[in-house]
Amino acid sequence: MSNFIKKLFGTLAEKPWEKEQAAIDTYHSGKTFNLSMQTSAVIVIFGLSTVLFSLILTGYLYTMPPEQDTKFLFKPNLLWINTIVLFFVTYFFSKITKDLNKNNTTQIKKNLILVGGLSYLFLFGQIFFWYQLMQDEKFVHTNTYFSSFYIFTALHGLHLLGGLFFWGKVCSKTLKLEQSEIINQKKNISALSLYWTFLLIVWLIFFSTIYVFNDAFIAWCKTILT
Amino acid sequence: MSEDFNENKTIQAQSSETISGGETGVAPDIDYVRPAELSDQDLYHGHTFITKWVFCQDAKVIGVQYFLLATFTGIIGLILSWLMRLQLGFPGAAGFMTAEHYYQFVTMHGMIMVVYFLTALFLGGFGNYLIPLMTGARDMVFPYVNMVSFWMFFVAVGVLLASFFVPGGPTGSGWTLYPPQAILEGTPGSGMGIILMCVSLILFVAGFTMGGLNYLITILQARTRGMTLMRMPLTVWGIFTATVLAMLAFPALLVSALMMTLDKVLATSFFMPTILKAGEVLEYGGGTPILFQHLFWFFGHPEVYIVALPAFGIVSDLISVHSRKNIFGYRMMVWAIVVIGALSFFVWAHHMYVSGMHPWFGFFFATTTLIIAVPTAMKVYNWILTLWRGNIRMNTVMLWCLGFIVTFVNGGITGIFLGNVTVDVPLSDTYFVVAHFHMVMGIAPLMVIMGAVYHWFPLVAGRMLSEKLGKWHFWITFLGAYSIYFPMHYLGFIGVPRRYFEMYDSPYITSAVGMNEFISTAAFIVGAAQFILIYNIVVSLKMGKPAGKNPWQANSLEWLTPSVPPEHGNWGDKLPVVYRWPYDFSVPGAKEDFIPQTTPPSEVVETEVEKT
Repeated sequence: MSNFIKKLFGTLAEKPWEKEQAAIDTYHSGKTFNLSMQTSAVIVIFGLSTVLFSLILTGYLYTMPPEQDTKFLFKPNLLWINTIVLFFVTYFFSKITKDLNKNNTTQIKKNLILVGGLSYLFLFGQIFFWYQLMQDEKFVHTNTYFSSFYIFTALHGLHLLGGLFFWGKVCSKTLKLEQSEIINQKKNISALSLYWTFLLIVWLIFFSTIYVFNDAFIAWCKTILT
Repeated sequence: MSEDFNENKTIQAQSSETISGGETGVAPDIDYVRPAELSDQDLYHGHTFITKWVFCQDAKVIGVQYFLLATFTGIIGLILSWLMRLQLGFPGAAGFMTAEHYYQFVTMHGMIMVVYFLTALFLGGFGNYLIPLMTGARDMVFPYVNMVSFWMFFVAVGVLLASFFVPGGPTGSGWTLYPPQAILEGTPGSGMGIILMCVSLILFVAGFTMGGLNYLITILQARTRGMTLMRMPLTVWGIFTATVLAMLAFPALLVSALMMTLDKVLATSFFMPTILKAGEVLEYGGGTPILFQHLFWFFGHPEVYIVALPAFGIVSDLISVHSRKNIFGYRMMVWAIVVIGALSFFVWAHHMYVSGMHPWFGFFFATTTLIIAVPTAMKVYNWILTLWRGNIRMNTVMLWCLGFIVTFVNGGITGIFLGNVTVDVPLSDTYFVVAHFHMVMGIAPLMVIMGAVYHWFPLVAGRMLSEKLGKWHFWITFLGAYSIYFPMHYLGFIGVPRRYFEMYDSPYITSAVGMNEFISTAAFIVGAAQFILIYNIVVSLKMGKPAGKNPWQANSLEWLTPSVPPEHGNWGDKLPVVYRWPYDFSVPGAKEDFIPQTTPPSEVVETEVEKT
């Protein structure tokens, strides 16, 4: 990061009108970062989505009213299983990245299908958890805790669906490719892998926040302290 | 930064040696450029009318589409402002106008002008047209996504305008859409009107994100060889930084629009506290309207700079070209754009001084607000110093630029007034505020848009606009705008509140009556004067003087395409190679008073570098 900042300030300090600098500049390739277009796009989406999710979390913390019934979430529930599923998706994506370097085509294709399947399983799990919440009469309008929960999980799910759309496109191409051609999809697969890692991080932050910052948990902490 | 950065260090020594040997003869590698690293972009060329002009992937066509649609919504905004001024200047003259209509017109005028006109026009219009051309790219990096971006904007505008035709009409809660009143009965358009507004904003943000993604990655990753970041014209710097701001600020608008829709449709309470209505407790509770204000202004203040930064960049280039001088303090101009962009995220709560905030909070935001004036003032000085002793061409473009500088300084100074809590509190919600923001982010950027239209129309259409009509257009707009907004400051000082349908029997402000009539008359004239431009464009498209290549003798790449107007792909068979920054005007020793960016050093060895 410090290297990046140093280079950023170095760039901003250039004097493009001077002949010495002009000679250096003319040699420039025109590309700022050594990244593929796909990875660049994913990084830009990171920035945007990070702000989006941060604002929802900030809104949740800002409006967190006292005495909300959040005990439901403390019972053993599907959210934990869903979290583990998402972990596995990221794990298999990292395996795909390693296999890409080894050019292990069969394994790549197998794991690519697996990550898609697990992602759909995660989405199904989230929807089923919504169903369980509603069965327990915890609706989106019940209180701001559940309102934030529903909106965050919905937006996270939409991000995942967006990722799955591109996963579908990449997967359909990759499955048709021979061993020698699979490297053509490397940039796309790496970008997808990065995107899923981001979704896991976002989910983990949210998951821990809803457990830590709520009235029931705070009350439980107080009982331990007293 | 790129890995080739380090390689550059090696080349630095080589290049310096070569340059120093210039006196005894040009070294063979003085014009050397590295081989292209990127494979040429594979573009989809439309062949039918639909794929060429409607669902088109060419950024230039998309830019023009954005421009036309934004202008169309802008004209609707203008008509709404006429209706408002008709009521304020001559109460009752428009027989159909009720207080509800007035509030709806105020709301729609504000939202249309800020989001659907100015933002869309600067980023969607100028951004799409100019980014690939000015950076030497063939097109945006994701042309299909770029096309979808425009059509999302199209649907967003459609949804917004549909709200005029639903029961209850469009929302009348003010462009800030503050809850709880925006979604409660009693406010005009609190039914379908507010829902459609929120849906439209969500669509707009989604569409813009697709466009913004393209602008950022094209600028960062797809420039042509030799085009370093610090060789980019300030127009691109302005659009780039504004896009970064938009990508970080629009999520706040998205979140607030989404949450408010849920509050309205699903009875959530993100922004709704416990509310009593006619003695009855409503189903809401637990939320806070102040959260909405924070979210809205976290978007709303950077939005000012989303509009202003492209205007700053464009006006810098126009001033430089039309005064035949390099831009004064290029680096400082870039820094100022970046610093203003960064600071704009730390000033939002100066819009909320009267929301009951803690005084220290107000003190903090007043301080940051005043700090942002420093880089802004630097830019103004640099524009003036660029003009200083320049070979100024007093054409229509230059008139708009000068008009901008004066108007921006006026609006900026009243902004410094309002940035102070103690000054702002008594002036809050008066016409002083209306005058301030119209000057600084309405008229000033509009003048840049006008200057830019007169400047780049020859590139887009291949013909020149009429200078005579342009000057009439400028002087009526300039004098008219001052006739509208100068008196408004006075109205604010005497305490005339904004957002009032009628002043009724208010003896303490009788002097406002005549002034309102004067302002309204000026507003009608200024609005009508904008049709001079439309007439000028329509006539010049057929009968304008052929522009030829590079009619302004500019240096930046957009004027150096093989054909004018540029074709899809911009550059014919070979991408351009950039050898210099875009501000080599009136360089001592050069044959002409401009050296285009593509001119290799070997062709201008006798020139001397000017300090800036």
